Amino acid sequence: MSQQDNGQCLSRRDFFKVSATTGGALLIAVQLPGCASLPAGQAENALRPNAWLEVTPDNQVILTLDRVEMGQGTMTGMATLLGEELHVSPDRIKVVFAPVAEDYRQPDYGLQITGGSTSISSNWVRLREAGAAGRMMIEAAAAQLWQVPVTRVQAIDGVCQVAGNAAVLSYGELASLAALQRVPSSPALTAPENYRYIGKQSKRLDAQAKSFGQARFGIDVQLPGMRYAVLSRPPVAGGKVKRVDRARAQAAPGVVKVIETACGVAVVAEQYWQARKAQRLLDIEWDHGELAQISTDQVFDCYARALNDGASDVRDEGDFEAARVTADRTLKVEYRAPFLAHATLEPQNCTVHITKDKCEIWAPTQGPDIARAVARRETGFSSDQIQVHTTYIGGGFGRRLTQDFVAEAVAIARHLDTPVKLIWSREEDTRHDHYRPASLHRLEATFNAEGKVTGWRHDIAAPRILDHFVGDAAGAVAPGWTPQPMVRLAAGLAKLTQPDPSPVEGAQDLPYEIANLNVRYAKADAGIPISYWRSVGHSTNGFVTESFVDELAHAEGKDPVAYRLALLPATSRLRTVLIAATETAGWRQSLSEGRFQGVACHKSFGSYAAQVIEVSVVDGDIKIHRVVCAIDCGQVVNPDLVVAQMQSGIIFGLSAALYGNITHKEGQVEQSNFHDQPILRMPQTPRIEVVIVKSQISPTGVGEPGVPPVAPALANALFSATGQRLRSLPLVLA
Amino acid sequence: MKLLINGVEKEVNADPDTPLLWVIREELKMTGTKFGCGMGLCGACTVHLNGQAIRSCITPVQSVEGASITTIEGIGSVDQPHPLQSAWQALNVPQCGYCQSGQLMSAAALLANNPTPNDEDIMAAMTGNLCRCGTYPRIHAAIRQASGQAESPMAATVAYWEAQV
Repeated sequence: MSQQDNGQCLSRRDFFKVSATTGGALLIAVQLPGCASLPAGQAENALRPNAWLEVTPDNQVILTLDRVEMGQGTMTGMATLLGEELHVSPDRIKVVFAPVAEDYRQPDYGLQITGGSTSISSNWVRLREAGAAGRMMIEAAAAQLWQVPVTRVQAIDGVCQVAGNAAVLSYGELASLAALQRVPSSPALTAPENYRYIGKQSKRLDAQAKSFGQARFGIDVQLPGMRYAVLSRPPVAGGKVKRVDRARAQAAPGVVKVIETACGVAVVAEQYWQARKAQRLLDIEWDHGELAQISTDQVFDCYARALNDGASDVRDEGDFEAARVTADRTLKVEYRAPFLAHATLEPQNCTVHITKDKCEIWAPTQGPDIARAVARRETGFSSDQIQVHTTYIGGGFGRRLTQDFVAEAVAIARHLDTPVKLIWSREEDTRHDHYRPASLHRLEATFNAEGKVTGWRHDIAAPRILDHFVGDAAGAVAPGWTPQPMVRLAAGLAKLTQPDPSPVEGAQDLPYEIANLNVRYAKADAGIPISYWRSVGHSTNGFVTESFVDELAHAEGKDPVAYRLALLPATSRLRTVLIAATETAGWRQSLSEGRFQGVACHKSFGSYAAQVIEVSVVDGDIKIHRVVCAIDCGQVVNPDLVVAQMQSGIIFGLSAALYGNITHKEGQVEQSNFHDQPILRMPQTPRIEVVIVKSQISPTGVGEPGVPPVAPALANALFSATGQRLRSLPLVLA
Repeated sequence: MKLLINGVEKEVNADPDTPLLWVIREELKMTGTKFGCGMGLCGACTVHLNGQAIRSCITPVQSVEGASITTIEGIGSVDQPHPLQSAWQALNVPQCGYCQSGQLMSAAALLANNPTPNDEDIMAAMTGNLCRCGTYPRIHAAIRQASGQAESPMAATVAYWEAQV
């Protein structure tokens, strides 16, 4: 990403700025530079003001949410942090989605993106401080009004009062006076034992709207005079239109225009269905480009060649080669993981209205600032002429970090004077995704004469996601005046110079203590479009490392849980989750006839997860009965949301482990819809039990850490059940 | 063409082969019903036709002329929620929420025809509705709760564990 590794980490200070708005509202802006990476040329703006909290005279408490709500519950989590210190129940807080502004960038990434399971961790201090500062100013206003020492004022549940005095004033009534108070420079935060909402709040703020069909997603945007667009894209990524006969489509009922853009051929009509029907009348000859013949076998051949040519160390401890020379025996195996689609249930879509000097965008996007940069590139407009409205998002999982759907809609809207909504079909969504990268893994373990493991080598061949992401992202990081050629140059430089942990994360940080440890990476990119997919590199490396360590346990004749515990450092937080999950699951105790268990543990996004999966196999059919998941994510903010995210990650992980497989033939994706790229349905869903480790350590991620242990725990259970060691995803029994 | 939607007669002007889904969403501007797959595979577009759950994305509008259609907007309101909508909120069922209208409509049709469905009935009625966020355990639990039955074996459970390191 855009992070600069130049050590320019500012000392951690909080800056508050307050201004009274014309309505007399109290507006608190918080600036926390922290270790945020600042793009070149922006240093003088490092102390930039940004606003989360607003208390209005009509007693509304408004939180501007700088992350997007795509199901992970960030809306509820952020309101809980603010409400805790403001002394207002989170359900009383009105949440609005933030516009694009530098102030709303995710500080670790320097981009306004929602990803990496970081929303709670990156707002843990600054949102609570924003709430505390607001409450203290309201208390000061009440003290001034009542002529009492501020220590006598109590602010509880959105009202102020003084003990022994009947007078009560709401925060709203005090807002305009509060806005004139001095801003506390370092507000004290509530001690954990006094939390009223953190660790307790469990009501989802968006549950109501989503239970009545009232939540407005990107695809629901309605504008006066709006047209509908569908787009025929090159069937092979990187292809282009060679020739198009648009006459028949153009003449179809309701068709407004047929437009050829760099992205393909769009049909714009009065109604969506008219556009779809007319699309079938297009006669397009494609230039399939460089990937015209690519197949899945060729992708893995490319990876194998890269490993044969040599991989570079990303971690090297002890001397693996020496361990191999002296080894009594070795175990050498190959693992592979396929491309995976995100399959968000809301297909990609984007609504755009371009006028002479303005471009307005409504998009379910995980990166509104990247969307704006893409629109700048497509229109030539300046940033302040482009407005991005984010909406509720019908599933993200990383898919909506890539802004291809925005670029397409903007390119189409340039040819129209009305608003236009571009909607992808499910088939288009499956075939034109930016996939979880496929990867190839060679593992080798060495054992001494006593049969004990002495060495571990893990060689990985995979593409770098950053190389595919940086083209659009560079435009969002670069200052608004940067000419497009410079943006392209910067993106090219980033590919050469920026490190990308995604192919090796979860492998290079193997938690086990093995004397001779070597992890190596070979960059291999067959050109298939790729992107971030829930838990990213951990989704593959978790499978590979936790399956292989299970192989070692069996090779040494040890119990897989005892084996892991023996290899984990005494201080590893994985120990607790491993014990919690296995004890809760009754590891290898009193299992019903025909039931088998598998275990896996993995750290990702700062959190520690362990899972025990219980299966049976009857006539080759895999049935998953029960999953026990233990999670240590530090201080829990919303317990039920942690449970929900574990349930979600496990079911998402099971879909991938059992069915996920995007394959290519003659350059084209072979899957299309839920019949040939299925996801789990209710009857396949196991009982899930969640165990949360009590902790007051600063919170870490929950959206993704539930995913990585699923596939290896299942593979390990299937090994117990059948003796088959499945080293390739999806898991298919022989 | 006339449609009877949520008890109200509406005049619509769409090509006869247009799927009901798009007429509801675009012409009638009721966006609670969602587009997910276009092939009747995911259930996001589920509505009721004369009380039975159907997939509106594969139902030509001309085939439902004169029939009674109910959408998510017609089964309950915030002030007068359907029992399922109350259970949905109480158990924090939705995540991204995109599939939930369809889930609720399938569940509502089930309860209308079978007020106390057993697990097999629930699975059979809900297997056509996909949820990418994995809310199935809570959906199952909410249907059991709304039908006044004992807690679902799939219901969310949570236990706490003392840190050991």
